[in-house]
Amino acid sequence: MNRLKNRIFTITVWTVALCVILFVFALLLLILERGFPSLTWDFLFGLPSEIEEGGGIGPALFNSFYMLFLSMVIAVPLGIAAGIYLAEFAPDNAWIAMVRICVEGLASVPSIIFGLFGIALFVEMFQLGLTILGGAASLAFLNLPVITRVTEEAIRAVPREWRHASFALGATHLQTIRRVLLPASMSAIITGLSLASGRAFGESAVIILTAGVTTSGVMWDFNLLSPGETLAVHLWYVQSEAIVPDAQQISQKSAAVLLFIVLAFNVVFRIPAWVRDFRIRKAA
Amino acid sequence: MIKRRELDQGLGDMQRLLVEMGRRVERALTESMDALKSLDVLEARRIIASDSELNAMEMQITEIGAKLMATQQPVAKDLRNILAGLKISSDLERMGDLAVDIAKVVLRLEGQQLIKPLIDLPKLAEMVCSMISGSVRSYLEQNVDLAYKLDKDDHEVDALYSQILSELFAMMAKDPAVISQSMLLCFVGRYIERIGDHATNIGESTVYLVTGKRPDLNT
Amino acid sequence: MQALIEIERLNLFYGSFHALKNISMDIPEKAITAFIGPSGCGKSTLLRSLNRMNDMIPGTSTHGSIKIAGADIYGKDIDVEALRKNVGMVFQQPNPFPKSIYDNVAYGPRLHGITSRHKLDEIVESSLRGAALWNEVKDHLKRSALSLSGGQQQRLCIARALAVEPDVLLMDEATSALDPISTLKIEELAQELKAKYTIVMVTHNMHQAARVSNQTVFFLNGEVVEYAETEKLFSNPQDQRTEDYISGRFG
Repeated sequence: MNRLKNRIFTITVWTVALCVILFVFALLLLILERGFPSLTWDFLFGLPSEIEEGGGIGPALFNSFYMLFLSMVIAVPLGIAAGIYLAEFAPDNAWIAMVRICVEGLASVPSIIFGLFGIALFVEMFQLGLTILGGAASLAFLNLPVITRVTEEAIRAVPREWRHASFALGATHLQTIRRVLLPASMSAIITGLSLASGRAFGESAVIILTAGVTTSGVMWDFNLLSPGETLAVHLWYVQSEAIVPDAQQISQKSAAVLLFIVLAFNVVFRIPAWVRDFRIRKAA
Repeated sequence: MIKRRELDQGLGDMQRLLVEMGRRVERALTESMDALKSLDVLEARRIIASDSELNAMEMQITEIGAKLMATQQPVAKDLRNILAGLKISSDLERMGDLAVDIAKVVLRLEGQQLIKPLIDLPKLAEMVCSMISGSVRSYLEQNVDLAYKLDKDDHEVDALYSQILSELFAMMAKDPAVISQSMLLCFVGRYIERIGDHATNIGESTVYLVTGKRPDLNT
Repeated sequence: MQALIEIERLNLFYGSFHALKNISMDIPEKAITAFIGPSGCGKSTLLRSLNRMNDMIPGTSTHGSIKIAGADIYGKDIDVEALRKNVGMVFQQPNPFPKSIYDNVAYGPRLHGITSRHKLDEIVESSLRGAALWNEVKDHLKRSALSLSGGQQQRLCIARALAVEPDVLLMDEATSALDPISTLKIEELAQELKAKYTIVMVTHNMHQAARVSNQTVFFLNGEVVEYAETEKLFSNPQDQRTEDYISGRFG
């Protein structure tokens, strides 16, 4: 009887898992299959068009990367530093407990809230208008709690024994963090960063509110104060607002590109961690 | 208090065997002296034959001691208990051998008449007998005072022994015909005195068991 | 024998818990001193006081003095990092870093500013030889330390401690996670090391203390009950509580 129950349960779990996996793969295939075959370099790097057919996504794609890079430049050092502080230095008191709850809360706040905050700060207060800078900074705010949390958790997960071994050899706290705790938690931190990057890359609500739905209309525009429509926003824009006749194709291709890049992030970011784990496992 | 069943049981077995050995040694000495007084050869043969039981008991004690040391890792008093037990069993075994040696003298005297009635040798044997029971009791009761009393007893034994020797020497000087029997009687005195020395060894083992110190009770 | 470590009227509290009560003892140099006693008796706490690892536990307060080579390690001007360099420690669980064998041993010297490749090579080799591990690992120093067996890992941890040239080596139940053969190897190693180092070991295994150490200290409820030559303590303890504990009739 128990054996039978066990069998039924196992089969159910397998079936559900298979369905989910099939659904995800079908979705991926559908998107990639619709978009990929007609992809061209001209589309990837070309300028968009407002009325005619054949517009590209160049500036939007560039902005996606540029803003992601900028936001990470801001968020990674701050987030990792904050994570280290919370894991290693923060005293165990009510105030820090509250900070922790706030960080956790912020990590799950809907992104549009960060967009509204970005408007309030950059558009209203600093009177910058819709800019790449404002967008990148708002994206950074969005990711900061996640990175902080991931770092704190990763450092806390380092076995206590390693910390003790380091101190017992006469290491200072700083030396221990730099030479033992960070290297040992790096693979978890990087996984966290790759998730955060993917999220930032696909983010639209924050960007629409803080960087706008237009680009400066030229390629390789590094100006921080230009408007900064990204690929994800562009996708939404062509689908819902644009009047170009090939809006359908553009959105399909954009979706494929977006998806491909996010997938690539997840793979590429993890390669160093995989190599490390593999080395350790192979030796073991 | 945690009980260590295996260890405690082994130590108990050792103690019972030692007490039994002590009882038998005492009996062997008494009986061999009786055989000597009456020159009873048959009785002497029986005494000689029964020594193998003492040897077997000593072997048994050695085995228990070895087993306990190998399996129980005894320390402190448990360790001293085993060491003392092993030492005492070998002392008792030697004492049994000496009683046998007395019985063997009876065999050598087969067909002869005693040159004189034995008075002092049985007295010496009696003193040593009470030393044996005293030593075994000191071990059984872990009584250090009883152990130290053995030293005093041994002095008295030694005094009587040297008096016996002087008398026997005097007889040999007077009448060369009694030399061989007198020599044998000297040996008997010597054997009995040696048994007393082993009894003081048992006392020393008792003191070691109780205090961890190693005194000299044969001063 | 010369006393290297002098402990005087040491009292230690974890919060309000009185973990060490008025401990005074001298620990001789170049010998093995073993701390034994039931769990929670304070033996590990005292060991961890000797390199101030107790500092890492919040709410710990220490009174009294511990002098190592004449210097009070709880004094005002003491450099805790320098103290820990001088007083190495090996832990209960082998805890090599997730780095190569070489980097594990070189970790300490690098902390203290040695960067010359040549010098590091020398230290790594001599430390591994000192810990009787060199012959087993010399051909794969680049391999992850986690690939070693438990016993090898523990000897690596000893090598790592030796690499910073300590005077004292603390072993906190260093063999309790190892199999009997590895345990014997570590014990044998300890016997060799005592020619150069002062070793203090905490062990749950009193037969190990009996086998390996020169002096044994028996702790109970944060107090020293008996401190004697190992041979004396195990054949003829002076205190009934010691007797009960070592003969397994405790509790």
